[in-house]
Amino acid sequence: MDRKSASDLLNVENSHSKHASTDSLASDSKSSSLNSKLGQESVSSSKGSPSKSYCSSSSTSTENVVSTLESKVKGKQVNVTESGPPSRPDDPPLLPGEKVQGMAREVTYLCPYSGPARGTLSVTNYKLYFRSMDRETPYVVDVPLGVVSRIEKVGGASSRGENSYGIEVFCKDMRNLRFAHKQENHSRRNVFEKLQQFAFPLSHKLPLFAFEYTESFSENGWTVHEPIAELKRMGVPNDMWKISKLNESHEVCDSYPSVWAVPAAATDEDLRAVAQFRSRGRVPVLSWIHQESQATISRCSQPLVGVSGKRSTADERYIQLIMDANAQSHKLFIMDARPSANAIANKAKGGGYESEDAYQNAELVFLDIHNIHVMRESLRKLKELCFPNIEESRWLSGLESTFWLKHIKCILAGAVRIVDKVENHKTSVLVHCSDGWDRTAQLTALAMLMLDPYYRTIRGFEVLIEKEWLSFGHKFQQRIGHGDDHHSDADRSPVFLQFIDCVWQITQQYPNAFEFNDYFLITILDHLYSCRFGTFLFNSERERVAESVKQRTVSLWSFTNSTIDAYRNPLYWAGGMQQQVLVPVASMRHIKLWKGHYCRWNPSMRSQDPICQRTRELLVLKDQLERQVEECRRELQARVARNVATPPRLASPTHS
Amino acid sequence: MSDKMSNSFKSYVGIEDYDLQSLNVSGDDSFSDLNPRLLTGEMVVAEAQKVLLFAPVSSNNKGKSGTLSVTNFKLSFVTTEERSREDTISQQNCLLAEYDICLSNVDMIYQIIGDKRRRLLPGSSVPDKVKGLCILCKNMKVMQFSFKFSPVDHGKTITNALLHHAFPRRHQLLFAYDYREQYYNCLQDACWYRYEHDWKNELERSRCSGWRISLANESFHLSTSMPQWLVVPVTVMDWQLTDAARHFRGSRPPVWCWGTKQGAALVRMADLLPTITERTQENTMLEHVRKSHPTRRQPLLLDLGKDLPTPRDVQTSFLKLRDLCAPDNLRQFQIQEKDFLTQLESSRWLHLISACLHKSVDAAEAMQNGSTVVLQEFDGRDMCCVVASLVQLILDPYWRTCVGFRTLIQKEWIVMGHPFCSRLGHVYRSENELAPVFLIFLDCVWQLTQQFPSAFEFTETFLTTLWDSAHVSIFDTFLFDCERDRLLAVTDPHNPLVLRSVWDWGEQFPEPRDVALFTNPLFTCSERRMLRPRWVLPDISLWTQCYLRWIPMLEIRGGGHPQVDLYLRMLVVEIAAIQGQMAGSSGPGDSRVADKLAVGVDAATLVGSFFPFSRSGGAATAQSQLFNSFPGEHALDSLSLQNAPD
Repeated sequence: MDRKSASDLLNVENSHSKHASTDSLASDSKSSSLNSKLGQESVSSSKGSPSKSYCSSSSTSTENVVSTLESKVKGKQVNVTESGPPSRPDDPPLLPGEKVQGMAREVTYLCPYSGPARGTLSVTNYKLYFRSMDRETPYVVDVPLGVVSRIEKVGGASSRGENSYGIEVFCKDMRNLRFAHKQENHSRRNVFEKLQQFAFPLSHKLPLFAFEYTESFSENGWTVHEPIAELKRMGVPNDMWKISKLNESHEVCDSYPSVWAVPAAATDEDLRAVAQFRSRGRVPVLSWIHQESQATISRCSQPLVGVSGKRSTADERYIQLIMDANAQSHKLFIMDARPSANAIANKAKGGGYESEDAYQNAELVFLDIHNIHVMRESLRKLKELCFPNIEESRWLSGLESTFWLKHIKCILAGAVRIVDKVENHKTSVLVHCSDGWDRTAQLTALAMLMLDPYYRTIRGFEVLIEKEWLSFGHKFQQRIGHGDDHHSDADRSPVFLQFIDCVWQITQQYPNAFEFNDYFLITILDHLYSCRFGTFLFNSERERVAESVKQRTVSLWSFTNSTIDAYRNPLYWAGGMQQQVLVPVASMRHIKLWKGHYCRWNPSMRSQDPICQRTRELLVLKDQLERQVEECRRELQARVARNVATPPRLASPTHS
Repeated sequence: MSDKMSNSFKSYVGIEDYDLQSLNVSGDDSFSDLNPRLLTGEMVVAEAQKVLLFAPVSSNNKGKSGTLSVTNFKLSFVTTEERSREDTISQQNCLLAEYDICLSNVDMIYQIIGDKRRRLLPGSSVPDKVKGLCILCKNMKVMQFSFKFSPVDHGKTITNALLHHAFPRRHQLLFAYDYREQYYNCLQDACWYRYEHDWKNELERSRCSGWRISLANESFHLSTSMPQWLVVPVTVMDWQLTDAARHFRGSRPPVWCWGTKQGAALVRMADLLPTITERTQENTMLEHVRKSHPTRRQPLLLDLGKDLPTPRDVQTSFLKLRDLCAPDNLRQFQIQEKDFLTQLESSRWLHLISACLHKSVDAAEAMQNGSTVVLQEFDGRDMCCVVASLVQLILDPYWRTCVGFRTLIQKEWIVMGHPFCSRLGHVYRSENELAPVFLIFLDCVWQLTQQFPSAFEFTETFLTTLWDSAHVSIFDTFLFDCERDRLLAVTDPHNPLVLRSVWDWGEQFPEPRDVALFTNPLFTCSERRMLRPRWVLPDISLWTQCYLRWIPMLEIRGGGHPQVDLYLRMLVVEIAAIQGQMAGSSGPGDSRVADKLAVGVDAATLVGSFFPFSRSGGAATAQSQLFNSFPGEHALDSLSLQNAPD
């Protein structure tokens, strides 16, 4: 009976989202914004994961379904949107700070899956919003302009044939959108210009949307990562490691954080001298320390060896200090993320790698990970394979020929080697590539994720990103190209996407080791591009301080931590005693394509996650039962208490 | 030569000249008490001492030392080395120990000569000196032995015995006929479809009028490969059936195997004989099938021979898949790693799975829409079994329970005469057409369990174990080509066969825990709807537990699905305990549940992705903990009561 009531509860939820999913399948099956990836998730839920049908803050009626599990957290947010309800049905729902900039009627959206739909296209300072009333249920395409990488006009005055005249939008998130305009309406020019302006505000001397967005959240994400607190969590400072504020004003290294953990024996002069010998002054600094063995992971950039094979006694001595800080081992591994050929080639440009002659007791290992250009090309091929449709019969060989999974495997294998050295050999590791802000960040962050369960919690993962990626100067601005129209810029590269993909691979191999689900990862990726939050803007901590990003924008973590339940993994084994160190198997026999991300616009490829759904049901059931038990117990206690207070008189005859 | 060999030692099997210093041999040298444990009726036919067993998929420079024996049941390697304690959390089979292979499981035997290998066929001459042997099993297990340290001739003796006994030429030479252990049948009232009432119940359960039970095949007069009881259209007289049967391959006319409550029937039949040129008999029979539909609707005829793989296709594909999943050594593993996906694709295994699911979905949808579906195939004994069973799993939740699944296999595979003996190669005959058609089916079911994790009462561990058990020559279930052969064996006056069903799991697995692992903690009977499986290639995955479990380095330590499974079992135990508490029973209190949980969390670090088939697990801790942490049968029962069908 109790079970029934619990399942009733769940059924309610089910029926809700089934309703939603049929709707959105008919209408907004692919489209949608970031958040209505959710709308999209709800489609897959017809196959079994209704509670994933989180609605977006920009909910349309079709998407506006809140599952019971998330209703509490979502409620607030939906209200915010409702505070400024759209007056006409064609008007897009707006975020605080968002304004409609242009609108065109009688536009046709050419969906590669469900065919053309006629409707109204609006452009705001945040998104493009298309809404069609053609079909029984409204059909919505809602895309933040941050994901746009280029916009092109299709067809000219002489174009004949239906839908041959319009605009094509190429996106950074594995899809392209096509809209057809009627020539006689002369609506294309205005839409095109508005899209150009607001998709590429920096090229038009306009601010990024994050600086206009004014929504407030119950949590302040900017306080998630406190560098000193995080170091203290790891037991630093201690005998061997100290906290240095030498870089407080980012003057020693402009792409590094202001707070460093360095060997206690290193003086400020040492650090300055080492900075002279490392590319862009990126000194070896502590990333993580093993609580028991004191083995460490440190990171830096390549040494400035050059063709002549220069040496720096300061650098050599400093590396020795890092080695000495770990009493358990008389060795240090230097993991150079690059293929050895690339490392050698860098000598010609003044860089290079540590010679084992100069660095006593250090062993150099090349991890064979390719550079940003190779990765960009690989993703381009993957997009070709996945969007809009896949060639089914050659799916696996096609996938292999993109090399995407091979690169993922290589990065994971590198991180596993670091973990092995630190965990099993109690040996410290120093990681670098060329500049130490791309491959190095991937490797250190992944190794830390495998070694330290803290980073597998939601907040811990946020800290990991803040620390290893943001504070150590991964050039998000350059790699993503926020707000600028140089779509073929050679600095763009999916380095962070690869990291998130690797994290997803580990979550697949260790399904109950992570507090967060893949929706959390997708949300992070969506807002990597969206420019709604300040988190991924600019290239370094120094730039973010200079632009007062913390003061002037909202953190992505404010958003996620205010609706944290949506990102929880029901399989997370919070027992605390679960596997401390994860060692994923980096083999092509295990590495999979993350279809839920790369193929998510294709309705026939949507992945299902029914195990999580059923587990959520069980957790709800358990939760409910526990509450019932608790109630019973309290009632029982109350009764006992009453009885004790007023001893029943009839029972008084004694047997003594 | 020596250059070449020292080279090949590292990278490939250098059995003859490896460097003793670097050879890491474990186990001590006392070979006194290394006899294999024998079953009643089992005897040793050959033995080799001081044999090295190499670690799987290694550079073959690590090995265990022990005695290798061939008996009339198995190939058995016994080592002095103490079994590491963690091993005991893996499945405990009381018929076969960790380093035993049932002779029926042996597929190919290779002699290792330097860095080459030569396949040895039964009947071929065995060379005087055998320094190394590689045994490749039907379930993809590989074992490699070296006789480098064995007394002269031991290698040859073993090889001879193996070639002789692993490929018996008569059915009566299988161990089932020699096994003398008393058998107490625990499955007396199971449904075997050997008797009229089993079919009657099934007809009633699906409420199919229009069909009747016929004894036209009494004593297998009509067709040797079909059951004695047949369900046929009510309008067909027995004489008509007998007359028609002669026109079909294997004398297999259309017969009913299942139906929906709306009156749509699932019918299977063979092709007409090639000598028959006019299709009158087929059309007449199909007309009867049409008339037995409540609305006289034209049935949908699916020609499985046209779109689905033949047994030969299945075997070709399987061999390629096995090459990928059973690499000889580390070097080959790494070479395969370079283009694994392309090779997997070119094995076409996943294509076959996809095709079978596709056809079954089509058939199921037609039936759901009220149409009778007739499956037609060459002999009607291979793909008909696959598709007929899948259609029923898709449409009818009953078959998704443990009992239902057993019954389904009994009905569509065993009594309908899937030639298990020929396909699995239990008896060595040159005309055998080997093909793991049954594995195709199990793989398809596995895909369904992945897509619908709460719809099936059984787990992937169950399916994998079932595949393993098909190669154990003790159980009659998968030993015969048809019911008639089984009946002949049972009634043989000289040495009547005692039937032991594979479904009687206690015969193999004394630990209740191992059987408990067959039950899916997520199963819920509320999932009663028709399944709508995806079948396009990107939705088809490789069944890693079944195919990759023999490669230790692919095991995810402390990870993989078993972790989820364990977690869910805990959750289910907790819920059951709370429910017990609320029902006022004197069930386990809060504290005990908490204890169990704590223990389970501890044990979880032991469980790897190939659990319970892994032999390498995680770090060794007290294994007994794990046993306790499993909700034994009681806890499961209390929950499955609510879920029980009916």
